Amino acid sequence: MSAQSLTDPGSASTLAVSHFDGRQARAREARVWIAGQRLMLDSEGRQEHYELAQVRWSELSRHGQRQAQLPDGGLLRAQDAAAWDAWAAEAGLGRPLVARWAQSWRWTAVALLGLVAVVLALWRWGAPLAGQGTALLLPQSSEQALGDKILAGLDEQWLKPSSLDAAEQARWRRHLEQLLRGGGDLPQHRLVFRAVDKSIGPNAFALPGGTVVITDALLETLKDDDSALLGVIGHELGHVRHRHALRLVVQGGVVAGVFGLVVGDFSSLLALAPSVLAQQAYSRDFEREADREALALLQATGRDGSGMLRFFDQLEALHKGRDLAGDLGLLSSHPADAERRRFFTPR
Amino acid sequence: MEEHDKAAPAAGASVALESTIAQPTAQSLEPSVARPSEPRRLSLQFTGSGSEYFRIWIVNLLLSLVTLGLYLPHAKARRLRYFYANTLVDGEALAFHGDPWRMFRGFVLLAVLMGCYAVAGQMSPTSGFIAFLVLCAVWPALWQSSLSFRLSNTSWRGLRFRFLGSKKDAYLTLLPTYLPTIALVGVQAFFAKDLMASDGKPEGPALAWMGTIVLVWYLLTPWMLWSLKRYQHGAYAFASQRTRMPVGLGAFYLMALKALGVLLLALVAIVGMIFLGGWLSKGNMTWMIGSVMLGYLIFFVITAPYFTARVQNLVWGHTEAQALRFDSQLSFGSLALLTLKNWLLTAVTLGLYRPFAAVRTAKLRLESLSIHCSEDPAEWMQAAMQVDKDAAGEAAGDFFGIDVGL
Repeated sequence: MSAQSLTDPGSASTLAVSHFDGRQARAREARVWIAGQRLMLDSEGRQEHYELAQVRWSELSRHGQRQAQLPDGGLLRAQDAAAWDAWAAEAGLGRPLVARWAQSWRWTAVALLGLVAVVLALWRWGAPLAGQGTALLLPQSSEQALGDKILAGLDEQWLKPSSLDAAEQARWRRHLEQLLRGGGDLPQHRLVFRAVDKSIGPNAFALPGGTVVITDALLETLKDDDSALLGVIGHELGHVRHRHALRLVVQGGVVAGVFGLVVGDFSSLLALAPSVLAQQAYSRDFEREADREALALLQATGRDGSGMLRFFDQLEALHKGRDLAGDLGLLSSHPADAERRRFFTPR
Repeated sequence: MEEHDKAAPAAGASVALESTIAQPTAQSLEPSVARPSEPRRLSLQFTGSGSEYFRIWIVNLLLSLVTLGLYLPHAKARRLRYFYANTLVDGEALAFHGDPWRMFRGFVLLAVLMGCYAVAGQMSPTSGFIAFLVLCAVWPALWQSSLSFRLSNTSWRGLRFRFLGSKKDAYLTLLPTYLPTIALVGVQAFFAKDLMASDGKPEGPALAWMGTIVLVWYLLTPWMLWSLKRYQHGAYAFASQRTRMPVGLGAFYLMALKALGVLLLALVAIVGMIFLGGWLSKGNMTWMIGSVMLGYLIFFVITAPYFTARVQNLVWGHTEAQALRFDSQLSFGSLALLTLKNWLLTAVTLGLYRPFAAVRTAKLRLESLSIHCSEDPAEWMQAAMQVDKDAAGEAAGDFFGIDVGL
């Protein structure tokens, strides 16, 4: 490079800019041009040059001041945004792919579609895969510990010790295991008994690690209906076999994380709503899977789904008068009653 | 050399430069001599556009999701560069110099730290408590680094800002504010058994302890906020200027008292509305849920903006430096209205309005600030400084939403 080219732009196109040298706040009248891989700067008669690759150009945009950060701490500022844009476009500066992408409405629409697709894919496959992966990787003992922790928490808040004494509990346990015997290969599980408020009533639920909590009210309601009892326990063992409790925790976490990313910094309530909806949708899928397990177990022991239908009838009779549960649709954690009845109706 | 000020610096940004009016046209050539000049107002403008930021935001979001969050520091740098380039002080934009790759390292470090914290909390109350203490021990340092990183990577007129608050003062400021939290977490960890008796109701000395701690906590909140803001606003520096915030503790308690009044009024109104809704709808669930949701919305549209506006006005209204005096006239009404609009539109558009909301809020909050300057900023010089290399603090500050405010 000859000395001449350092001081004279020659035929290169120049751009008038304001130059801040990083030491004084005063702006200098300056002009820049490009010579090879160098940015040449003439600032009030003083010449500087910089490696072009070390100058950080502000990215393509419609609004905002155009700036270039120089490696010596100095700053160039556009005097005329249009002239800067034209000059930078000619030199191909400040236009990384991401910036050009964001400047095009068409490509933004593509990004939006991509975003929707990614969110849907995460919801449909990503989160369930994460749940299954965790279930595979997490040792049984950790899952058991998690379940124990949840049970301890429930015992503090919602559950009361069963009113059945130890002998009665042992008898029930024997009876239930007897019923399950014909069901073939069952997941490892532990049956525990608890008393609950009237609002929860006859119920059973599975915790991570294979603990199945059975309420006294359930035994009381179904004491003469082995088929219904086996259906309910079979349903919970379906949750245990597929490790639904653990997977639901993980899947809910993934969805909450994704929506937290989108609007979480603005409002945690807005982030919460979609994750609740997604969580309930996952839960309904799991309930359907557990119902299939229950029916399979009933059929393996020579029964059909009619016991479950009787159980639904009894639940309905119990909940008559308080129309609270109703059909919450998308908000519901279980599929609609009619759908479950259809499923268990013997053909 | 003030001619550059007269050129509109960006397309679409019509900049009313009050600065040029008070300036003599002939300039002396000795730049280092600060000439006494008439105090003048440095205008503050935000020229960002919602639709442009929307496009940047969508691309940022997509890349962050596809990379499972690894793109987040780059997304943040891109967002800050856009917001800074659109923040014009006296016609000159701010510039963000942060290196996204360095921010990435800090981000990973912080993610690991928070991950360990979460895991420890899952293992046992005791290990969770220890992890919490460790976090408390490192947090003031991270906070100080975050402020320092952000300020030293922000420039105006080519000069870097600095944050002069020391690590020691960060500890002295923050540690006392942790005491109630530490006490609360400690009581929960060690009295866990007593807290929940067999009938499901907490009892015993643990409950009395918790009640006392929470009460003390509430009573101390204005003082904590005061010492936090005094630390921050006492250490911002630019050129030879260093800010301070000479405001008494009393002003903060007065503000808190008023905020409490607004909170109670909002609560009364909401409870009344929910009862009215229940009575009118005769116990219909949908109506009940609707009125509760509406009450929730009103609550956040009134109390949060009130607090935000009053804190900004109090803090910036009392911030000054040798040649600078700041003022803030953020009106609660306009912020509440904007918040309501942002909330509704963000919900209706399933979050897509979010970037527009961010731009509008930034514009309202920034343009309610004003700066009076008794010198000519063009004559200022960069003071000696070292660029803070620690980007972990920046990520840390962002993680819990601690930001420098402006």
